[in-house]
Amino acid sequence: MPEIGAAGDGPRLDENLAAAWLTHQLEPRTRIALAELGRLVSLAAGEVLMREGEAADQLSIVLEGRIGLRMRVPERGQVTILTVEPGDIVGWSAVVPPFRSTSTAVALADTELAVFEGEALRAALAADARLAAEIYPILLNAAARRLEGTRLQLLDLFSQRWVEPW
Amino acid sequence: MVTQVTATNASATEPETWFLARQDLATLIARLRDGGRQVIGPTVRDGAIMLDEIDSVDALPVGWSIDNAPGRARLVETGNQRTFDQPPGPTSWKQWTYPPRVTQLAWEGEERQPRLEASPSAPKAFVGVRACEIAALGVQDRVLLAGPVADPDYVARRRDNLVVAVECAVAGGTCFCTSMGTGPELRDGFDLALSELHDGFVVRVGTPAGQRAIAGLPLLPTTADQVSQAQASVARVRATMGEPLPMEGVPERLIAAAESPRWAEIAERCLSCTNCTLVCPTCFCSSVTQRSDLDGEAATAERKWDSCFTLDFARVAGGNFRTRTEDRYRQWLTHKFGTWWPQFGSSGCVGCGRCIAWCPVGIDVREEVMAVSATAPAVPAAPAVPAVPAVPGVPTPVTKAVVEPRGVATPNELPWAQAMVVDSWRETADVVTLRLNTDDARLLAGQPGQFVMAGLPAVSAPPISVSRFHGDGLELTIRAAGPATAQITSLERGATLALRGPLGRGWPVEMAEGRDVMIITGGIGLAPLRPLIDALLAKRDRIARIHLAYGARTPADRLFTAELDRLAQSGVMDIAQTVDRAGPEWLGRVGVVTQVIDRVMCSCDRTIAFICGPERMMQATVDVLHERGVPDERIFVTLERHMDCGVGLCGHCQLGRFFVCKDGPVFSLAELGPGFEIEGL
Amino acid sequence: MPSTTRRQNPRRPRVGVVKFASCDGCQLTMLDLEDEFLAITEKFDIVEFAEATSNRSEGPFDVLFVEGSISTPEQAEEIVRLRREATTLVTIGACATSGGIQALRNLADHDAFRAAVYPSPELIESLPTSTPVAAHVAVDAELYGCPISGHQLLELLTALAVGRRPQLPDEAVCAECKRLGNPCILVADGVACLGPVTRTGCGALCPSFDRGCYGCFGPKEAANTPALAAWFDSLGYDDEQIGRLFAQFNVGAPAFNQIVVERRSLEAKR
Repeated sequence: MPEIGAAGDGPRLDENLAAAWLTHQLEPRTRIALAELGRLVSLAAGEVLMREGEAADQLSIVLEGRIGLRMRVPERGQVTILTVEPGDIVGWSAVVPPFRSTSTAVALADTELAVFEGEALRAALAADARLAAEIYPILLNAAARRLEGTRLQLLDLFSQRWVEPW
Repeated sequence: MVTQVTATNASATEPETWFLARQDLATLIARLRDGGRQVIGPTVRDGAIMLDEIDSVDALPVGWSIDNAPGRARLVETGNQRTFDQPPGPTSWKQWTYPPRVTQLAWEGEERQPRLEASPSAPKAFVGVRACEIAALGVQDRVLLAGPVADPDYVARRRDNLVVAVECAVAGGTCFCTSMGTGPELRDGFDLALSELHDGFVVRVGTPAGQRAIAGLPLLPTTADQVSQAQASVARVRATMGEPLPMEGVPERLIAAAESPRWAEIAERCLSCTNCTLVCPTCFCSSVTQRSDLDGEAATAERKWDSCFTLDFARVAGGNFRTRTEDRYRQWLTHKFGTWWPQFGSSGCVGCGRCIAWCPVGIDVREEVMAVSATAPAVPAAPAVPAVPAVPGVPTPVTKAVVEPRGVATPNELPWAQAMVVDSWRETADVVTLRLNTDDARLLAGQPGQFVMAGLPAVSAPPISVSRFHGDGLELTIRAAGPATAQITSLERGATLALRGPLGRGWPVEMAEGRDVMIITGGIGLAPLRPLIDALLAKRDRIARIHLAYGARTPADRLFTAELDRLAQSGVMDIAQTVDRAGPEWLGRVGVVTQVIDRVMCSCDRTIAFICGPERMMQATVDVLHERGVPDERIFVTLERHMDCGVGLCGHCQLGRFFVCKDGPVFSLAELGPGFEIEGL
Repeated sequence: MPSTTRRQNPRRPRVGVVKFASCDGCQLTMLDLEDEFLAITEKFDIVEFAEATSNRSEGPFDVLFVEGSISTPEQAEEIVRLRREATTLVTIGACATSGGIQALRNLADHDAFRAAVYPSPELIESLPTSTPVAAHVAVDAELYGCPISGHQLLELLTALAVGRRPQLPDEAVCAECKRLGNPCILVADGVACLGPVTRTGCGALCPSFDRGCYGCFGPKEAANTPALAAWFDSLGYDDEQIGRLFAQFNVGAPAFNQIVVERRSLEAKR
């Protein structure tokens, strides 16, 4: 069971966000506002953060440890298609309709996360245009970089095909 | 060390001239055949003027000429008595100095040692050599003799070639020597020079050998009138060719015009039939073919003429760098007129016009060179990147690379050394490391990043990076990607393997001192980087941080896993491993290796990066490094290309002006410039 | 075979040679390797080769050489069965690699031919097209030519025996002409020659005897036949002549076929 952080996580969370790749370039004001919305969560290795296909109600930033994203391929079982390292985001489906998780996220090591409740985050972004104007771009940037990485994975550059049968 | 091949001095004083009556030419030819010299000259055969061995003056094409135009070369009878009024035919002197097929190596004996075949070095006389052809001999001399390794067969065949040049009295329809600065006047590079007049020849002596050749011939001193007739004749030829092409700045513009739309337009006409390259007197690209009987006994390796226009020319295991006709044509034209300059200090083209006449569809390089240069983007005045470092001992560039035909000393050969397999183990499903012992001093002195050509009888010899150096040998980590590497990886303990090397320019280890080092690699790319890591760890205290990012397809495809774990645990360097996909038992990173450094927030002003992997991966890595502010001068990549010789003689591995085998395989991004990103270069 | 170079395979590879619609000439080329034939039989176990031995086998084969094009419904089924039986399938000759000269019927009215030749054409089971083997099953290697070259066949067999990649260059006949020192008859005499768009392998046989290349080995890679056909136009050949030049043993190969179709339609418009 993930430990739920105590109230008053704000200042400590803010420090973490200042050091995380995803959020370190935010305006201090924005970062603090974001920190207010989140809480610190610890996961033990092996614990599941969210499951493929289920409602996505949390957006998280990995602070320490590692989250593995897995998809089920019937003939192959669970395949890890990406790991999320400290500073990177997991669960942006929480702010993108239909708010459903596209993969299963499991902690591969003892992991600490900054977790934001999806509904609360969406409401805060809808209410505060300035906050939205700073948060959505960093989410988009993270998504873009992940897409670039996925494309390189798709090219399968390390594949070892023989062209000839000899 | 190659003994310097020097350009012939133009005599301080005017050379002596003599007059040889027409009927006495027979005596000269007979005299040349004295002592068993093979005399080669023009002759009419099969409806064309061909260079062949001639046994007397009667074989020469008296009364014949050629009507040349793009795609057309018709023999015409002139009805006069003149002997040499023809422009060059489809054959050139390289038929004898660099023949179409030469057996290079034979594998013999119980130990299957490769032995270099001896090449015939019988003396020859070339009769009827034109000014453009003298320049062509010089150009090939620079390529095949004056590099770090000389071609031993060429050395033997060029020994004692007596050059009896002929000054052109007619210009062919496709000739453009005046545009390339190679003629039509004969200036030097000959033993004898003949200028044909109505009743005989003005003979100029160029060398003591030429002097000896005419000793005792019925020669008269020339009259002033004869000399001025000869001069007028060649001046007429110059005038016939009209205004020379404006070649100023063309090499740079061609190199800059890599993305010109003209290349695709030419490709609609070009048949990629290789005719232009095979008639060209300076083209030198070759391939090595294996010959053997069914048992693999009696195995030989043969060097044969090849061409950058063939499909397989740029093929490597699992890919081909130059498949489209437009890329091949671009390679040829840009090389001939452009990158030949930084490579060899002269133009590759001598203006003989053969390629224009003998192109089956009449593509005219004069037109194409001008058309492409016209589309080039503006070129910076000063070169943005340094030229390839000059080869020590090679003279400074000359526009008309005329070289002394003889006086060539022993080439700097790089023979095959023997190595013995003392151990071998499997790294992954298709990668094997061989531990080899050798006592060859050159191999033992190899540097990180260098490679060897690995040879077994009857199979092609691939280039393989050395993955570790030892005091008594080395390790090769090899992926079985084709039949040759499959055989090499199945060698057992006690087997011998012939190695040639160490070859190429390795990693600049000394540049890492005082810096943070980032090594980014994937798959088998870790193999050529391991000697670099060995060298860095050997002077660990002089290097700041060392970070290795290593990607592989799956966890089972990683090399040297035990070593990497040990290194990571010891703390001497940071190691981040990642895979493209994994099953649930893998708890490490999954994702492209560029993401490992993407998230790093370092101050990269003292970082130096070394990258090895598939080129697309290297490009993605370079993009991330640029974002981090690492400058091109401190980003080093190692490239892979098709190699048949490994020493810059077969021409396959060219990338722009570089020979990946000898100028690389390690390059800084600053050197490579935009060439790294252009498709099909 | 020295044991230091590769592990011995104690069993000789099982080799078969079969034919479909063809003249047998390619198989004959194999038999013409008189000097090497004995060595070949020592290295390979020839289990099926009707022209050479009464040993018969339906498979399996390590290497199966297939001559001939697919011309009947029965052949179309048989090739699928043979593909399953063969580890390595090598097609030999123009028929197997491009449909052969009989592919001329692909451009004509097949039913009309049958009716013209046979009194009861409905008894003749024949496909309207003659197609190469690769149009039906995956092929591992191809030896081109009409007939194939004995040298190339030997090189393929040697490569199989020794364990190297067979050296079968895909380059124009011109490369071989130039290596031999032949002057180009197209350039020197204006004689139409398909050499520049045809794959080498024959040793530039016809141009060595002053005759234009027929295209026996089929189009080379990146064969720019339209450009060559346009050049023949400029030399004064008309559409009918140019169409005929490409309508030979490899008329079924796309690069040659396109010219035949184009020129015939131009000719029809006149």
